[in-house]
Amino acid sequence: MIPEQVALTELERDALTEIVNIGVSRAASSLRKMIGEQVLLSVPSIEVVSHRRAARLISEREVAELIAVRQDFRGPFSGRALLIFPETNSLELVRAVTGGELSAEEVVEMEHEALAETGNVILNSCLATMANMLKRSLTMTIPEVLRGNGATLFEVDESGAEEGLVLFLYIDFAVRMRDIRGYIAMLMDIPSLATLKELLDEFIASVVGDDA
Amino acid sequence: MARAAGSALNDEQLRAVLAAAGASGSWDWDIAGERLFLDASFAELYGLPTDQIRDGFPTATFFRSIHPEDRPRIRIAVAGMLAGASLFSKEFRVVTPAGKVLWMHGRGQCHLDADDEPLRFTGLLVDVTERKRTEERLRIAQSAGGVGTFEYNDGFATVSVSTEFCVLLGLHPADRLPLRTINSVVSEGELALIPEGVQGALPDTLAGEFLIRRGDDGELRWIARRGEVQYEADGTGYRLLGVIYDVTNAKRQEATLRELAETLEQRVAAEVAERQHAEEALRQAQKMEAVGQLTGGIAHDFNNLLTIIIGSIDMASRRVAPSADPRVRRSLEQAMKGAERAAALTHRLLAFSRRQPLDPRAVNVRDLLEGMSDLLSRTITEAIAIAIDANSGVWMIEADPHQLENAILNLAVNARDAMPEGGSLRITARNAVHSGTGGDMPAGDYVAIEVVDNGVGMDEATLAKVFDPFFTTKDVGKGTGLGLSMVYGFAKQSGGGIDIASEPGSGTRVVLHLPRGDASAVEDQAYHPAAEDFGRPSETILVVEDDDDVRRYAVGALCDLGYRVLEAADGFAALDLLRGRDRPVDLLVTDVVMPRMSGSELAQSAHEIVPGLGVLYTSGYPHDAIMHEGRLGEGVELLSKPFTMQALAAKVRELLDR
Repeated sequence: MIPEQVALTELERDALTEIVNIGVSRAASSLRKMIGEQVLLSVPSIEVVSHRRAARLISEREVAELIAVRQDFRGPFSGRALLIFPETNSLELVRAVTGGELSAEEVVEMEHEALAETGNVILNSCLATMANMLKRSLTMTIPEVLRGNGATLFEVDESGAEEGLVLFLYIDFAVRMRDIRGYIAMLMDIPSLATLKELLDEFIASVVGDDA
Repeated sequence: MARAAGSALNDEQLRAVLAAAGASGSWDWDIAGERLFLDASFAELYGLPTDQIRDGFPTATFFRSIHPEDRPRIRIAVAGMLAGASLFSKEFRVVTPAGKVLWMHGRGQCHLDADDEPLRFTGLLVDVTERKRTEERLRIAQSAGGVGTFEYNDGFATVSVSTEFCVLLGLHPADRLPLRTINSVVSEGELALIPEGVQGALPDTLAGEFLIRRGDDGELRWIARRGEVQYEADGTGYRLLGVIYDVTNAKRQEATLRELAETLEQRVAAEVAERQHAEEALRQAQKMEAVGQLTGGIAHDFNNLLTIIIGSIDMASRRVAPSADPRVRRSLEQAMKGAERAAALTHRLLAFSRRQPLDPRAVNVRDLLEGMSDLLSRTITEAIAIAIDANSGVWMIEADPHQLENAILNLAVNARDAMPEGGSLRITARNAVHSGTGGDMPAGDYVAIEVVDNGVGMDEATLAKVFDPFFTTKDVGKGTGLGLSMVYGFAKQSGGGIDIASEPGSGTRVVLHLPRGDASAVEDQAYHPAAEDFGRPSETILVVEDDDDVRRYAVGALCDLGYRVLEAADGFAALDLLRGRDRPVDLLVTDVVMPRMSGSELAQSAHEIVPGLGVLYTSGYPHDAIMHEGRLGEGVELLSKPFTMQALAAKVRELLDR
């Protein structure tokens, strides 16, 4: 169950989706500059779920092992951001962002570095945009590449103890005619999410004004 | 773009093109200049003065005609665009100046400058009211009918699905689901819910049923899939368009129905088997009846012949002089032995054909079994342990005690022969109540006498024939094959029945059922043989017999015994004699079956002339005339043919002495 104080209303969800979309648009623009090709990134939907539910959401959709780029963020709301791909898509993504000239060996060699860099661009854009739009500032750690399944990435506690929540975003990539799907997950504790919700409400009030 | 179009003609042309494309308007939002430029269609839709088109409108105009419920949502989305989000694609309602509500699809994009700063936000409005209504109808149809839709394009990794589709499969609602996510809910061994082309030839139709395990609650459900395979016009690929819906309840009902149908078959099969069993039992009964009639008939004729043979040998033996050649006497003795064996044989045949005269009395089975233990010990070898068990609570039965002893002895001997290496024989008696179903015995109380051995047993084929006369498993000369037939006939004639169960190697169990007797019946004492069998000349006996030889023998025998004897060849002659005599006749000895007047008719008429006249029937074939349900009538005595002189003497003496 999602506690009342952090459950997002439809409008809050819309607002967060738009903010993240601005972030991924910026990321797409940065990537386009990096690789000189059109990159399309979009976030069609967003959800707040438990760690367990997030793990299930991913494993429902992905049979393969996962690969993730992780960055921790700190500020008025703190947590951990994950950009997640199915492992099978990872080399595809690397090939897409590095261009077609690399050999298979080189791609494997570069995988780690390329992933970390791509993840950094995307996550940074999202988090920075969020901070910017919500008129706050966030600091971020350097990216780290992880492998595992949904349960390990979301650190699902088998004992069922109280756990934080996950802001779960679907993300669609389209690079060099390749369709790659991924996920952005922001793991936050309840006080952080409650703060985020408050900031979203402020944002909505400023945008919508009397129409709300 | 309207603003960039420059000339009125170009405007006009653009407008025509946009209208043809279904566009209801276009906009160009100057972000830096904070001005909104609209085309004529947009202005018309919003009811704006068209003369201001060139100068543009305040940006807030964009939201003016948007339905209040949709306005916040669109404000947020536009805020995103103005902050640099790249794509805008939203559906919202617009309220026209006439008050009409139209659904619009706004599609736009953000134009950035070299520094990635948003410059302009441009887009098109398309009237999707019609489509929205259709979608609404479809949505209602889907949710009301529990139908989920899917569309899959050949080669794609994901499938477009409806919310209901996800709900049906227990998956988290999404617009697109990976192919393998969908196919992973299908139970092992089933075909894929969404087939991929690479699996081989595609079916013509998507009709099918799938057992799935729902993703959320793990419940097993049946899902039906219907749809079409649509091939691309250029033949390069195909699309799968279809629906799914839950058919678990229908499947369950089907299963229940099928189970009912299956048990119906079972019930019918059981009924048929029972019927076949009954038919088989009837066939067996008819066979036994036919064989019984045949053997009975033969035995009857043989008895008459044997009566003459035995009587004549008897007579000859008495008359042969002591000085005569001893070989004559030996020959006569051999002849008598042979005749007696023949008599015993016919007697058994009669027993089987249920035509032996029975003399039922109240019998205490427990006492009877106890009384037999000596006899059994003598008959059965020491290698066989005999156990007799009957408690004092066993009911009285009404049966011929001698024949019952005979039957039990017969069964015991069979058991003995089945245990050449030794074993155990158990004879028990218990009370049994029959419901009257599943057997040929009427409902009622019975005493079940069981004879159980642990000998070699019998197979089914043998079991089917054990009651047939002359069927024997014993070596030639060791058995007549009449033992069980006799027991069978006796049980039937006594109003009971017999069951036999056996398997090769695991012994045989025979159960003799005899009906419970009248509780008040007093146990008869065994018949008393008369001390003196000879007659006196003062005692007159009338012999009536249509067979001259038999009559001659009986008369001769009675004369020899010292009686005064009168004879008649039929009932009428006999009655004449009875009427004409000064001295009373003391005893009437008459055959049962005679032409013109039967023995019982004669007896009846005789009693009118001489009340209380003793009657002794002789017969090789007891008939209904004197048999009531297989038993002799009250006060009637019967001497079975063939009879020896001793037997005749004893019976006559017994009647005269009463």
